[in-house]
Amino acid sequence: MSEDLVTLTIDGKEVTVPAGTLIIRAAEQLGIEIPRFCDHPMLDPVGACRQCYVQIEGQPKLFTSCTTTVAPAMVVRTQNTSDEAHTAQVANLEFLLLNHPLDCPICDRGGECPLQDQALAFGPGESRYREAKRVYEKPLHLSALVNLDRERCVLCARCTRFCDQISGDRFIELYARGASQQVAIAPGEDFRSPFSGNTVQICPVGALTATPYRFVARPFDLSTADSVCPHCSAGCNLKIDMRRGEVVRQLARDNLEVNDGWACDKGRFAFGFPDSPDRITTPLVRDHGLEPASFGEVFGRIAEWTEGKRVAFLSGGRLTDEESYALSKLARTVFATNDLDHRRHLEGGELELLWAAGLTGVTYERVERAKAIVLVGLDAEQEVPILHLRIRKAARRGAKVFVIHHRRTRLHDVATHILCRPDEVAGLLAELAAGTSAAPAGLAGAALREAGNDGVMLIGAGALDRPGAADASLAAASATGARITMVSRRANDHGALRAGVHPGLLPGGRPIAVPEDRAEVELVWGQIPNYRPGRNARQILEACARREIDVLFLVGVDPLRDFPDAALALRALRNVPRKVVQSLELGSLEPYADAFLPAAAFVEKDGHFTTWEGRSQRLKPLRPAPGIALPEWEIFASLALACGSDLGFETLEELQEELGGLVAARESVPDWPPSPAPPPMAQGLELFTYPLLVDEGRLSEGAARLKAALQEEAFVEVHPQDAAATGLAAGGRAILRTEAGQAELPVRVTEHIARGTVFVPFNQPGLAANTLLSGTFATAVTLEPAHAAAGPSGGPADAQPEEVPA
Amino acid sequence: MAVFEGATLAEARAIVARYPAGRERSSVMPLLYLGQSIEGRVTREALREVAELLGLTTAEIESVASFYTMIRLRPTGTHVVTVCTNLACALRGAKDVYEAAHRASDIPHGAELSEDGVISLHEEECMGACERAPVVAIDFAYHDEISPARVTELIQALRRGEVPAPSRGTAPRDFRHASRVLAGLEGDPA
Repeated sequence: MSEDLVTLTIDGKEVTVPAGTLIIRAAEQLGIEIPRFCDHPMLDPVGACRQCYVQIEGQPKLFTSCTTTVAPAMVVRTQNTSDEAHTAQVANLEFLLLNHPLDCPICDRGGECPLQDQALAFGPGESRYREAKRVYEKPLHLSALVNLDRERCVLCARCTRFCDQISGDRFIELYARGASQQVAIAPGEDFRSPFSGNTVQICPVGALTATPYRFVARPFDLSTADSVCPHCSAGCNLKIDMRRGEVVRQLARDNLEVNDGWACDKGRFAFGFPDSPDRITTPLVRDHGLEPASFGEVFGRIAEWTEGKRVAFLSGGRLTDEESYALSKLARTVFATNDLDHRRHLEGGELELLWAAGLTGVTYERVERAKAIVLVGLDAEQEVPILHLRIRKAARRGAKVFVIHHRRTRLHDVATHILCRPDEVAGLLAELAAGTSAAPAGLAGAALREAGNDGVMLIGAGALDRPGAADASLAAASATGARITMVSRRANDHGALRAGVHPGLLPGGRPIAVPEDRAEVELVWGQIPNYRPGRNARQILEACARREIDVLFLVGVDPLRDFPDAALALRALRNVPRKVVQSLELGSLEPYADAFLPAAAFVEKDGHFTTWEGRSQRLKPLRPAPGIALPEWEIFASLALACGSDLGFETLEELQEELGGLVAARESVPDWPPSPAPPPMAQGLELFTYPLLVDEGRLSEGAARLKAALQEEAFVEVHPQDAAATGLAAGGRAILRTEAGQAELPVRVTEHIARGTVFVPFNQPGLAANTLLSGTFATAVTLEPAHAAAGPSGGPADAQPEEVPA
Repeated sequence: MAVFEGATLAEARAIVARYPAGRERSSVMPLLYLGQSIEGRVTREALREVAELLGLTTAEIESVASFYTMIRLRPTGTHVVTVCTNLACALRGAKDVYEAAHRASDIPHGAELSEDGVISLHEEECMGACERAPVVAIDFAYHDEISPARVTELIQALRRGEVPAPSRGTAPRDFRHASRVLAGLEGDPA
């Protein structure tokens, strides 16, 4: 189906564009710049600022080129060839500047301001206005992150349209009308949107400013580089601004294939961690205490400790593709171990194998064009926020969206939610696959079937906590013809999996137990000494606790905080004789580390992150690593040499060449056995947890404004019927008891959670939820009201349920 | 809820139910009028409650409420008198009518509410009755071709507790009653 094309003339030049194109866009294709403020390519046209007037031959009046679509044989004249358009634009700029203050020298936008730039390029040098300008109280704090100086505003409505059309978080609006019109927020309501920073970035003047950057720098003081966000697997393209070597601002960079022009507030504002005062930039080794040492000394000690010993590796989800690959090769070829894992807990089955092999084929573009989208166990706004925006965009274009989850997500205004207990996911997916029932799961299946190739299933880690759900979702995808992929949260979970930081999978999703697949890797690596699939993260920690492992490497991971069983992590650290920590800082591992290897942060290294889609995007070093910290692949390569071996690459290019061949998407994967039947779930209440966007994670440290704006204290969320049955009331406090531990938390009662399930966030102030968990992210729980006098460790008397006044 | 409770809450729900599922936000204006009929103006509490009823943010409601002059967000008298001072009315002496009304209402300089709380007075943009200029509206009922003397009589009548007959149709008893009619509700509040 070919698109209808339209040919028109702008300033005497012919251009052919698809029907429906706006004149301002057609002009851009010819390199003709028409001044504009309200126009934004990602937002619906509004024609609010009146700056983009052009003349159209045969029409008596001027037209705003940002709201007028092209027509065949149209003859358009811009300010370049029409005196009338030019005069109107100059007059309009003078009008927009009537009330605009001349405070550019102290305005954050000064030097990079569309109003300043266009006033210089297209406007009058002088204003005829002599009266007093409008003044407002300044600034209004819309949130801890965003400030509004109303006297600078030109009422373009970009910010309010963003909140309406893109994020759906309609906290700011245009109030009043005429000369009194202004952007405002309801008193007592905060601009509590995880996308609020985008309104600052698209403001064409300095009316909206971000607190962390307010009065911090001038644009000409900044050195700027392109990079990729390290926070989640969305892979947002960022522009990073540094002043005197310190990151002071991050902005979203336009990439229509990935983040459009957006970033979430975490990606935008949580940039302080590489400059944390706790950062350690020299190697350390423990003799009496932890003392600074050279890399050579530490490598020598590690070589002694590991000689002939049982070694295991745990990593986080934020190594680059290259570093993950070096780690996989190091563990297997130098230390002859397959005990390595980057995951915390996952029952991904064949779906994980397909994801590892690059065979899932869902992209942002596929999501945007989808006619039906089913999310399973994924809270997209909190886990991968930019994917959430793309799903909203698809919904605006008419996609039917369904969410199978245990609690309602922020897609609630555009999606049908199917709330269920963790043990009901597989059953709902079977109902979806059948697609015959009139219940929502059946309707979701029917919608996917109707969409065919334009159906998408997005499977989050929340669904992959129990065996069976992954297989059921794959079966549902093949029954309905939908495309399916896993969506993991951390920035390079996907890269680590594809590079083989996994007990059973070599690079490219090649199972180590399958001889043909292993042979492909051995062609590059030489013989792999150990063919037996290794232990996963949980089994590694259990083996450490049983003293079956001698040396544990912790690469960019802190199991005490990250692993869903805090007690097991602690036993493991206490019982394994040698712990090597490789990271930016020691944090809670300080008492346990026997050696520390300082790593480079994401702004200091070259390499790639792989998005949830499988798109590999380059990080570029913006500054040298502080002290003698090194990129992790260099640490791995040097450690191999110190251990009398060799990873076979001396430069990043050599590594990349080797890696590229092995992780290229494959034709097919070997057969994979079905997952074992999941254990039956207890009848009582089931607690589940996942991390919220702004939590106590290491990478948000120091982002005080971000936390002030968006972080929540820990809470427990229960269904009204469960609250009634356990005697809890909204606003009261509850004691939670699980096999692993107990906690006391404020209660939220909501109908938007499945009956029989209880939610706590994974890592908010007030609760490290892994102290309640026993290896997975769900566990049986009992609830009872807490009595103010009894405190968190209340005795048996507390077991008496009691009405708490609402 | 403090404003919408009991029978009023039931009326509010009935208003929301007038509109098709998924289009509930269309009921913002009648809900604001209903709140105004209870409290004589739209209070911050009412804005919040309308937002809650419709699952919208308070900002979305206040954006609408602050746009329309028929929705009163400030303290308001028993009756609202508006004088059109747009072009046609201005040419026929509306400014003098407005000033006469201001004097007759006993409104302090710079204010818009009379000291006895009976009259709220403000200038209005075109009310669409240019052929009858100058036009004055009392609780949204039009009085045509008004002179300064006539507006003084009208306001004196209001201050005596009378409701002068408009040029067309029937007059609402007061501003609250007018708001109730505009909410599409008949009879008196429960």
